[in-house]
Amino acid sequence: MTAWGLAWRTIARSPARSVLAVAGVTVIGALLFDMLLLSRGLLVSFRELLDAAGFDIRVVAAEGSMVHRPPMADAASLAEAIARLPDVRRITLVRSDTAIAITAARSGGGTRVSLLGTSDLTSGSVWTLVSGSLLPSATAPGEVPVLVSLRLAAALQLQPGSSLPLRLFLPGSASALPLVSAHVAGIAQFSFEAADEYTVATTMEGFAAAHGKPADGVAEMVLVSTDSTQPGSEASAAAAIARLRPDLRVLSNDQVMEQFNQNAFSYFRQISTVLSSMTLAFAFLLIATLLTMSVNQRLGEVAALRALGFPRRRIAANLLWESVLLVGVGGLAALPVGALLAVILDRILREMPGVPGRLHFFVFEPRAILLHVALLSVTGVLASLYPIWLATRLPIAATLRREILS
Amino acid sequence: MTRSDTPIIEGIDLTRSFAMPAGAVVALGDVSIRVDPMDYVAITGPSGCGKSTLLHILGCVDQPTTGSLVFEGRDVRTLNESERSRIRLTRIGFVFQRFFLLPMLTAWENIELPQAEAGVTKADRRGRTRELLEYVGLAARSDHRPSQLSGGEMQRVAIARALANRPALLLADEPTGELDEDTGTQIAALFDRVHADGTAIVVVTHNPAVAARAGRHLTMKSGRVVTA
Amino acid sequence: MSGLNRGRACAFAVAFLIAAALPVATPASTGLPPILISRQLAEREHLNAGDIVTLALDAEGTGSRRFRVDGTYEPTPDPLRFTAKRLEVRVHLPELVTMTEVRDDPASADALTAINVKLKNPQTADAFSAAVASRAPGTFVRPTARARDGSDPFAVLERFHVAVAAVTVLGSTAFLLALMVMRAEERRETIGIIRLIGISERSILLEVLAEGLLIATAGAVFGIVLAVATQGTVNQFFQWRYDTALVFVRVTRSIALQSIAVSVPLGILAGLVGSWTLLRRDVLALLGR
Repeated sequence: MTAWGLAWRTIARSPARSVLAVAGVTVIGALLFDMLLLSRGLLVSFRELLDAAGFDIRVVAAEGSMVHRPPMADAASLAEAIARLPDVRRITLVRSDTAIAITAARSGGGTRVSLLGTSDLTSGSVWTLVSGSLLPSATAPGEVPVLVSLRLAAALQLQPGSSLPLRLFLPGSASALPLVSAHVAGIAQFSFEAADEYTVATTMEGFAAAHGKPADGVAEMVLVSTDSTQPGSEASAAAAIARLRPDLRVLSNDQVMEQFNQNAFSYFRQISTVLSSMTLAFAFLLIATLLTMSVNQRLGEVAALRALGFPRRRIAANLLWESVLLVGVGGLAALPVGALLAVILDRILREMPGVPGRLHFFVFEPRAILLHVALLSVTGVLASLYPIWLATRLPIAATLRREILS
Repeated sequence: MTRSDTPIIEGIDLTRSFAMPAGAVVALGDVSIRVDPMDYVAITGPSGCGKSTLLHILGCVDQPTTGSLVFEGRDVRTLNESERSRIRLTRIGFVFQRFFLLPMLTAWENIELPQAEAGVTKADRRGRTRELLEYVGLAARSDHRPSQLSGGEMQRVAIARALANRPALLLADEPTGELDEDTGTQIAALFDRVHADGTAIVVVTHNPAVAARAGRHLTMKSGRVVTA
Repeated sequence: MSGLNRGRACAFAVAFLIAAALPVATPASTGLPPILISRQLAEREHLNAGDIVTLALDAEGTGSRRFRVDGTYEPTPDPLRFTAKRLEVRVHLPELVTMTEVRDDPASADALTAINVKLKNPQTADAFSAAVASRAPGTFVRPTARARDGSDPFAVLERFHVAVAAVTVLGSTAFLLALMVMRAEERRETIGIIRLIGISERSILLEVLAEGLLIATAGAVFGIVLAVATQGTVNQFFQWRYDTALVFVRVTRSIALQSIAVSVPLGILAGLVGSWTLLRRDVLALLGR
């Protein structure tokens, strides 16, 4: 009988105990798997969001960042200059502010919304049109056509053609801006809308009109899309923009990722590292305890096998296989359980304010499975070391004597 | 009977002492023993006289504190644990008082196990196991686990297991200690057959029926051989 | 904070860094206004008390003024900004106003970013906020007490950690049951003998209960002691990683009691389940007959 065959028989000998041990490994393994998914989940998900938006470069003021974006007074002329660069395919200007939407559907002080002004009128990048029509390329002075998010439309019972009174909200300063009557051109799904916010998008002219002034060419961010068919176009475009305007910050998607990674995402990476380590330590302790108790219960058998001529390595191999089987079966079962748990945990974390609705904390990557298998395997092997030592070093004669007397 | 020139095992001036908090305990003191092929040796004596200790040393399960032990011409003290394991697997068969069968294996599998470890081919294992089960009269119980066998049946399976790799020497430590008188007699008869078929036997026993069948008797007291 | 003020604040901080890159290593001048700098800034720019620094609003040196570093302070840890590098300066308000005022805008001398209010009766915070908001439209007034609703990121994190803890308890319960079943099996013969000589199942269960209570309580207490010992390591790691004095893990009395409330009954239950696996068998089966 092979070592793994004997190990299997040993495990099957106590089905209740083995099932419980495997269940324990499954649950702990599921947690480990989820922590591995969490370690890079935000990075992967955010990268997908960035790439889906279709822009490769973001330009902001030098003293700003992706989160805090001071206005750039000459953004319009900047965009024209960037558009003339060889690798650049598309430019979009963006600015944002906070407004209060006042409707009869909601009582109280109104609904706080994020007002987004943009020069990009097409669907498929920052938003996807669901119903109605896109923002018009030309608007009459003072007109504020808007696209509202699905969530806002549902909350305020809006549809294409509805009127949406907006008041600009400027915290920290007294604001006497008049109410602006925006009209809903369409309803869209916004990639970066958080679960706790409502987004309203309008044209740059509409944005200025909402502030009671004419279009002024100001923007917070210039989004640049390069020719993706040309390798290296992103890097060369970024370098060209930086040379053009060394007073601004030019961020590629990689650099945006790095910024968010260092500031916002690193906490979850650290948490996942700490929890993964604790999970592995926990699994190690429990498997080692289980195997040690199992060996202690079978000392007589082990001594008899040694007396019959079974070498130490064979005893060690049996025990190692026992550990491999327990951890292996449990570890494999942990994958679907972990996937289900990840959905639940992801749902919890996505309730965090400010998190884009399409961002996920737990994202599946094949490397997570490999790491999961590797870590559990190492843990299983390490956990079996002490019981193996116990079994292979026991004094045969003394053990036989003790077993007989007991 | 003339003694063979080459004993299977020979121990000279064997002593075994155990360090205890209250001082060293000498379990075996200057015991010399020689077992030739076709010997049937019974070792008797009161409890704690060192019978099992001597058996464990002869079976290469334990090491003497002093003295020499030569197994089939090889000095056991110079062998490493792996080599001693090999001797126990292929040249010595062990039968225990408490049987020590693996409870999760059937009778067949318990007997087959040492053969597999010794590298015997599957076909040969099958033949040998079937032969041994018939030898001990348990061919019909080959699929039964130890929990489904009586004490006497378990001991017969244990004897079959001990004979699996055709050892030169069978060592039995109180083989009838857990059995009733009639069953003990059956086991004793089985030992007779084993001996008659060419295997040397050394048995430690309190059972007069078993001891009576041996060709040689060693009586021990306080770690020493008093009559041989 | 409006975008403009945010921008100015960022510019201010950045400009300080640029200006402070060349500290004037001259003896402290009592005529210069004093400032306090954050520990992180002091370490990064190698500044000490007594150093003279120049603060400006931008890289061009707009509004620059010289100050004397009077000391360093540890910024109050902000859980919402713990990843931010706390490169900060504390300046007397009149000095800051003098630096930032716009000559053409008299109101700029009177502009503030925020006002912190300590109430005589903190319970009236909500009512006070509403009253101020109604009297000063356009201001953003809110109590500093943690809003325990879905909008609170810490409530979300708390739910996350509770979920992880629940999964851990589930896994450890499975292992605990396995160990208790093994332990019960070890004592199979003993239990059989006890039953054989007439000891009732009830007595055995009571003994198991007492034993389980003792072991579970000891285990729970040990677990809490281990958690308290470990929290220091976790805090040290995160405090080092983010250069902050924020406490990330704290085993409070409430948490300790909750842990005991969960683990002790689980431990007892596991022991009872293990014993049940034996007591449901008849005596002879226990003795292997």
